[in-house]
Amino acid sequence: MDNPKPEGIVLTEAQKRSRRSRSIAIALALGVLVVLFFAVTMVKGPGVLVRPM
Amino acid sequence: MSVVDHNAIEFPRISEAEVGDYLALLKPRVMSLVVFTALVGLVIAPGHFHPILAFTSILCIAVGAGASGAMNMAYESDIDALMSRTANRPIPRGRITPPEAMAFGMILAFFSVMTLGILVNWVAGALLAFTIFFYVVIYTIGLKRWTAQNIVIGGAAGALPPVVAWAAATGSLSMEPVLLFLIIFFWTPPHFWALALFRNDDYARAGVPMLPVVAGPDATRLQILLYTIVLVAVAVAPWPLGYFDAIYGVASLVLGAGMMALAINVYRRREGKEAGRATRRLFAFSIVYLFALFATLLLEVVVRAVAPAIGAVMPVFG
Repeated sequence: MDNPKPEGIVLTEAQKRSRRSRSIAIALALGVLVVLFFAVTMVKGPGVLVRPM
Repeated sequence: MSVVDHNAIEFPRISEAEVGDYLALLKPRVMSLVVFTALVGLVIAPGHFHPILAFTSILCIAVGAGASGAMNMAYESDIDALMSRTANRPIPRGRITPPEAMAFGMILAFFSVMTLGILVNWVAGALLAFTIFFYVVIYTIGLKRWTAQNIVIGGAAGALPPVVAWAAATGSLSMEPVLLFLIIFFWTPPHFWALALFRNDDYARAGVPMLPVVAGPDATRLQILLYTIVLVAVAVAPWPLGYFDAIYGVASLVLGAGMMALAINVYRRREGKEAGRATRRLFAFSIVYLFALFATLLLEVVVRAVAPAIGAVMPVFG
């Protein structure tokens, strides 16, 4: 006799919604980091690799 | 035929935490004070500092402070649940688990330190790393549950942001950021002990050895008065020593007189509603005191920048 196929983890609507909002926040944070590194590279120009201790 | 009972499998807990819960882990109100004091450290530093680098520095310092807050909440979730002031935080409410908060804090700490080091300079990056280490390991894990001097020594972490900001702007340290450090360092005990006096039951219930719990309210009132005397002296000193100008000098005297009057009031009124009102007033004014003192330093920079222009138009002010 076959057992019913295990369903695994089924997210509720609230869990899906909160996961989506957290994912968007992480994406935005990474975007800010990319823009920040780009902007500072533009500001420093070739001197971006010269970092005083 | 399967021998596994799927109903018996315990699936991992699925988080329902919203972005707002994670933002609450960053202690936004503490962060606002950190950002403000760091901004002052940045603005009074000599030389030109590109606005994008200035923004990067403040952002990294703010995120580093938030990371410290998240790790602090992860470690203190047991006592936070026992205190009315902190029972509403995301971990005691069950929104976020302590390991999730700790991981969040560690990731933010790593990114804030590395970003500050790579994009600005490593003196500032190292100082930010030290600040986070001091707040989490020395204060939260080491001192807070061990000694009544917890907030005196731990106050150093809260006093470092303007020093980090100065280092970001100049790549070095000098006397001015040390003076800012000392002002916040000596401001911390009267501020937190005033809070501890009217939250005494909370701290006692949670077993945190704050001074009023360990030494009693009267000894705490005396310590508040003594630390306020030192604070006012330290805050005024940069003016006669020639580090800050007259606007700051006058403001530090006026604000210092207010702090002294309220600290004396706390020392004298020890019973009933009057005592409670006195400590709440000192606690509230201490926040205004620090903000106003540091805002005066910003004002001095603006006046110094604008004065030559006014002098050119109206020579009498030149």
